[in-house]
Amino acid sequence: MQTALRDALIEALGPEAVLTAPEDLAAYAFDAYTEDRLPAAAVLPENSAQVAALVRVARKFGEPLVARGAGTGLCGGAVPTSGGIVVSFARMNRILAFDATDRRALVQPGLVNLDLSKAAAAHGLFFGPDPSSQKTSTLGGNAATNAGGPHALSYGSMSAHVTAVEFVDATGEIVCARADDAGYDLTGVLVGSEGTLAILTAIEVRLLRLPRAVRVCVAAFGDIDAASACVSAIVAAGIAATALEIMDRTIVRAVEAHFHAGYPQDAGAVLLVEVAGEASDVEASERAIALLARDHGALTWRAAASERERAALWAARKGAAGALGRIAPNYYIQDATVPRSRLPEAIRRVEAIAREHDLPVGNVFHAGDGNLHPLLIFDRRERRQVDAVGAAGHDILAACIGLGGTISGEHGIGYEKRDTLPLVFSPGDIATMLRLRDVFDPAQSFNPGKIFPQGTACVEVVAPEPTFARA
Amino acid sequence: MTPKHYALGTREPSEIQRPESIEALAESLAACDRAGRAVVLFGGRTLQGLGHVPERYDVAIDCTRLSRVLEHDPRDLTIGLEAGCSIAALDATLAASGQFVPLDAPRAAAATIGGTLAAGWLGPRRAAYGKPRDLVIGTTVVLADGTIAKAGGMVVKNVTGYDLSKLYIGSLGTLGAIVRANFKTLPLPAARRLAVAALPEGTRARAIGRLETLGIEPVAALVVNGFAKTIDGEDGADGRLLVLFEGSERSVEAATRELRAVIGAAGVPATRLIDRETAASFARVLDAYIEPLGNRSMTYRSYGRPSDTTPRLDAFARVAHGAKLGLETIEDVRTGDVIARLSARTVADFASRAHAFDGDRRTALSGARVIVAPQALRELLDAWGAPPAALPTMRALKERFDPAGTLAPGRFVGRI
Repeated sequence: MQTALRDALIEALGPEAVLTAPEDLAAYAFDAYTEDRLPAAAVLPENSAQVAALVRVARKFGEPLVARGAGTGLCGGAVPTSGGIVVSFARMNRILAFDATDRRALVQPGLVNLDLSKAAAAHGLFFGPDPSSQKTSTLGGNAATNAGGPHALSYGSMSAHVTAVEFVDATGEIVCARADDAGYDLTGVLVGSEGTLAILTAIEVRLLRLPRAVRVCVAAFGDIDAASACVSAIVAAGIAATALEIMDRTIVRAVEAHFHAGYPQDAGAVLLVEVAGEASDVEASERAIALLARDHGALTWRAAASERERAALWAARKGAAGALGRIAPNYYIQDATVPRSRLPEAIRRVEAIAREHDLPVGNVFHAGDGNLHPLLIFDRRERRQVDAVGAAGHDILAACIGLGGTISGEHGIGYEKRDTLPLVFSPGDIATMLRLRDVFDPAQSFNPGKIFPQGTACVEVVAPEPTFARA
Repeated sequence: MTPKHYALGTREPSEIQRPESIEALAESLAACDRAGRAVVLFGGRTLQGLGHVPERYDVAIDCTRLSRVLEHDPRDLTIGLEAGCSIAALDATLAASGQFVPLDAPRAAAATIGGTLAAGWLGPRRAAYGKPRDLVIGTTVVLADGTIAKAGGMVVKNVTGYDLSKLYIGSLGTLGAIVRANFKTLPLPAARRLAVAALPEGTRARAIGRLETLGIEPVAALVVNGFAKTIDGEDGADGRLLVLFEGSERSVEAATRELRAVIGAAGVPATRLIDRETAASFARVLDAYIEPLGNRSMTYRSYGRPSDTTPRLDAFARVAHGAKLGLETIEDVRTGDVIARLSARTVADFASRAHAFDGDRRTALSGARVIVAPQALRELLDAWGAPPAALPTMRALKERFDPAGTLAPGRFVGRI
């Protein structure tokens, strides 16, 4: 890399915060989706002022900036497809302020999601969004992708929880925006913009009160079709569940091999049900859901008897993708959402598409939100299988769009789906979105080559070879 | 309806258009944009008291004929409608399948979906159910140049592309016309109860403190001073606590018992329960937020933390006292909102004192915004309070989305 750039970065951030050796940079070339070229540098700022200084240096040298949380993203969002400088928030991981009375926390972007709920628990509070990656993923990354998780069903995704942001804009200014400010809702558009508009340097979130009663139950079904139909029926009946998660046999077996949480392994699919709130309401909802499950052919119904059992069921569910990674050579996790009444149909289409492409598939998903996560299993050493995964992934997205759905519920578009975006949005829709980017980042210095199909951008990016998640 | 109905401040439009389709609206807007004619979009005219009077105003586009329900499969708990649909119509459509969208719009029979969203309206129940922006899953807007653009969709979880709906919600028709909105809906609660308790002098702080200890949280908790005619239909301005519970019958019953015990211990004697007319009673409370007293009142809204309502209430009281204006307030215990209505006994007294009040409050209550004011006074008031830090970015957004300044120029924050 240029010595002048390196010197300028060191001047802005200090020598220990600037990595330029290829062996150090290798860790910043990939996320959980793909691997790409090495950045010119990786930097680890310590505070907002350093981020602002960094943006000014990058601007002067014409280097793009890619903000990075824990690298758990599943769509290539944190991968430096155009090289440039990767900004790690590993050193900006503190809770800056905690207000139990007003139930707010101000945090740095590098704070790990679960650490916030852990800190809040002492005050009887918790943080709503709980992506399965929450043990490692950061709130900055969660905000960038508008992450959801199993409890998005009841509490909503990140954007419903972020009340204010501090960001560094493309000119290197530090700006604060509050959702309650007079004027346009900049907080609302920055959350979910995948690092393409600005770099977040602090995030204020609201916290929720821990429910007084929680029940977790597991129903076993003969097949995934019956489980999906049951979830559609629960949603249509308006029964308030805080989470409704399905895992099929492939996933349950992988999960049980690793976690031994007690999911029935002989079932075609299991439904994990969580209800929370007042004890009497929880009981009533559980009864109503159990009846619907029985009507939809549930083979068994079991309620977790203890806090420990409940935690084990959740740990296994949230570790499902990782557990599959232990038994499959490689897998590719897809993310799409359909209207909830179309869930059984969507699952049938997924299974048919996997069969057509001769690929094994596992399903683990946020059924209550209609948010599918088929995992296509393959071996990356087999060229045919790699091609088939790409084709099947595309077919699944097209099928979901055909059912009135969309191509990402919570993972983001990133690099992975940028060329699929036109299947959902017209050129006019996309051009309107680009007006927003023009205002924030006219030179496309923040995370270029993401979200939007190439050709709508000024910078041409060489397509990286997707490697998908590695086992 | 005549141009007078569409007046803002002292300005009236020279033309009123009432398009019957999204496409027709797009054509109208594009034609105005090309001709350099300034447009103000209208829904039910309930929240047109917001913002500055536009610096130019030629055409009023009334969106109320865009009132069709476009997509509603109750099994999905979603609904997509044209934006001119009234809030009451939305409520009625959804109630038929046991669902609702808690938008808390005042004057729901007149208020429209598009107007409520464009105004960025926030009601008390957002503490329990989220803001309207969090219930919107997709929008279609018409930009000034006639572009019809979608964002989001009809699914409840969606991160596909920029969430531009967030940008349009609260933009007061200055970036585009919201012509369609899609919502996620919620199952209607089995029971609703409004508990009303008079707060004797000196019990407010203690009662509010005790509310925080409630095991079952109310969906709204308001301390109201004044607004008696609108809310109770009778005179009298005693402070009272209004607490709304929604949920299962058992939980509402348990919550009421707990509430009585808790506020009783704080020295609040009787609690009146409203079970049968809960919806109508709560609607009257919402109406009070924007109800004027003829041309002798104005209403401000201040956002903040629940823990800092007291200093803001005190500031309103101090400045009102100094300006010799009467003060009525709604304090939202859960969200931290403070609504303040200032009035005088005569129009002449009010007109002579309102400007002084608005000047004095700029230091003590710099963040407060005007939501209702007599048309004749609007030009004199600081409609938005102190500008936000990100104003330059907001200006750039306006420039990029509406370069000709067709949509209500000068109306928004910082005269955007």
